[in-house]
Amino acid sequence: MSDIHVNNVGKAFGDFVALDNVSISVPSQSIFGLLGPNGAGKTTLIRIITGITGPDSGTVLFGKNHTTLGYLPEERGLYKKMKVWEQAIYLTQLKGFTSNEAKDLLKPWFEKLKMSEWLNKEIEALSKGMQQRLQFAITVAPNPDVLILDEPFSGFDPVNAEEIKREILALNENGTTVILSTHNMNSVEELCSHVALLNRGEVVVNDSLQNVKNEHKESHFSITFSGSQVAFANLLGPNYEVLKMSENGNQVLALIKAYEGAQPMKLLSVLSNSFNILKFEEQLPTMNDLFISMVTNPSSSDE
Amino acid sequence: MSLLGPLIMAGVGIMAVYLSIEEHEDQKILVVDENHPVFTSLKSTSLIEFDVQNIELDQGLDLLNSSDYTALLHIYKDYYKIHAGALYFKKQPSFRVQSQIERAVQLQGELLKLSEFDISESDYRRIKTPFIMQAFKYDAASESSEETSNLPAVVGIVFSILVYMFIFMYSVQVMRGVIEEKTNRIVEVIISSVTPIQLMLGKIIGIAGVGLTQFLIWVTLSLSLFGIGQSIVFAQYDASSLASNTNMTAEIAQEMDKELAEKTIRMSNDNNILNQIARVNFPLMIGLFIFYFIGGYLLYSAMMAAVGSAVDNDTDTQQFILPITFPLLLSYIASFVIFNNPNSSIAVWLSIIPFTSPVTMLVRVAFGIESSDLWQVWLSMGLLIATFITMVWISSKIYRTGILMYGKKASFREFIKWIKY
Repeated sequence: MSDIHVNNVGKAFGDFVALDNVSISVPSQSIFGLLGPNGAGKTTLIRIITGITGPDSGTVLFGKNHTTLGYLPEERGLYKKMKVWEQAIYLTQLKGFTSNEAKDLLKPWFEKLKMSEWLNKEIEALSKGMQQRLQFAITVAPNPDVLILDEPFSGFDPVNAEEIKREILALNENGTTVILSTHNMNSVEELCSHVALLNRGEVVVNDSLQNVKNEHKESHFSITFSGSQVAFANLLGPNYEVLKMSENGNQVLALIKAYEGAQPMKLLSVLSNSFNILKFEEQLPTMNDLFISMVTNPSSSDE
Repeated sequence: MSLLGPLIMAGVGIMAVYLSIEEHEDQKILVVDENHPVFTSLKSTSLIEFDVQNIELDQGLDLLNSSDYTALLHIYKDYYKIHAGALYFKKQPSFRVQSQIERAVQLQGELLKLSEFDISESDYRRIKTPFIMQAFKYDAASESSEETSNLPAVVGIVFSILVYMFIFMYSVQVMRGVIEEKTNRIVEVIISSVTPIQLMLGKIIGIAGVGLTQFLIWVTLSLSLFGIGQSIVFAQYDASSLASNTNMTAEIAQEMDKELAEKTIRMSNDNNILNQIARVNFPLMIGLFIFYFIGGYLLYSAMMAAVGSAVDNDTDTQQFILPITFPLLLSYIASFVIFNNPNSSIAVWLSIIPFTSPVTMLVRVAFGIESSDLWQVWLSMGLLIATFITMVWISSKIYRTGILMYGKKASFREFIKWIKY
């Protein structure tokens, strides 16, 4: 396990500024979501963290000495004509392991991900999903301190994606810090404890997932009840506004907004006296909504 | 392929030589002599049976068509004024056959004329004295003479062609490998474990190893196969046929000073191709070949690696390959010019400039370099080393940026930008 501190990193390619004074902290043993639209600078930042490219300014510091990194890039390929097992051993050897050490590291993962049957097949004989599983196995087998996954779920069907998610969680529980760069907001909701959002080379958000949601919550409440819509609206009073109301069979789904001074718990007790309340829930913003709103309306974002 | 290659090459080479020497065409030529009966005693040779008939040309051509004659020789009238003729063939005879015909007719014509001048045949043979000349290099400083001939220079050209081929082939292979890794994106995976420079150099050195191994296999296999083939094929090429080439009959040899005769026969034997090849300083040539191949290859493959890293696919490389390999091509063409004049200023310049030296210096060395010019060789070698080190440095800068960049249109201006990154 290790934590990572990116301090005031800047990077430009000629006139194009890829990263502008970027600072983020990845807590140890977190699953850290690195989000942002295409071209925001995520891949550049990842390349700087992994040491592939050097920053023009700023530093990247690791909490632990000799932090080992595992990097699964978004665009990932393999030598088409090489055999699966040979390729896996070779790439692991590049990390500094001997051939035997590599075999010991890879075997359990091959079994876990059910890849033992195709050890001697050539890469081009595998389907895309199989190749992705192979690449994932090769990345995690050396048990790195920090795992950086760039769009790891692309190309996976739901069953495989679920399996990879489980493995990521298991690795994290074992102490691996995980940086997850993805557009798949569902996976962010399911996996991440912390997030950072990059847009046009700048950090828009860098916080725990909970904090981000709480800070951007808009005091929306979702209420499901059975009864009259009109009566419901009348009971709300001036502190609330109905955003949406729809009927679903003999139930009504309402989305209301609470204004300053409203006391939602009090509303709940009032409502439950008159209606059969099936659900009363504060709607925290989804990462999907947050992403869209933060990226399309930069003036309303906070650092 | 490494084993198959030289086997095929040696096989083809031996076949070519064998076939050219061992003619299986037996010619049966009908001779229509307008000067009849001058050529009635035209001597048949090992390959040609002459059948002199006293008929007209038309009759002869009909006969040619209908029978098993392979060709018709028509000797024009007034031989001693015109001395010309025509050969009508059904199947094209080789140059060897054609020259045998010419010589036979010429010899016959001359012999018959002898009587007019009252010269005997043995006198005639003494008059015919082909001059055998051997070239010696005289070194004024050491006052020694070194036997030399043109053949080693031809060997030099062969080596320089090999260098050209190998440098071209293997540096293009480097480029292809770089592009493959870029297009199938494995470079992104590898680049997190090793630095771009390690990757680039690893590829260059690895392919160099392949090239050298292949070259060594080729050389050893070719030489041994050629040697085996030589002893089989050339066993027939013995001293007696060589003696006939110099028109030295046994009896004339007797009349000469014995020692001189031996020396003359040995000289004509020495002019035998294979003995000349054996005189070439192979260790030196092979050593230089290896040096210039490695130096030239490192220089060109570094450039090719840079090009490969900058483009996104094979087709985009076309615009770069020609300008980069142009010096190689130039030196290849120039080597034939240098063959004629190895010490001309163009030869000297081309053998020193690093982009052309691998090919041209080998030709010059095969001819032999004066000890006073030896500094040129050292200069050429030193410059080559310095240049390829610089080129590797420049290329690695282009490579490490280009390898991760897609979609950018590569041009020389872009390269300069990347060098500055």
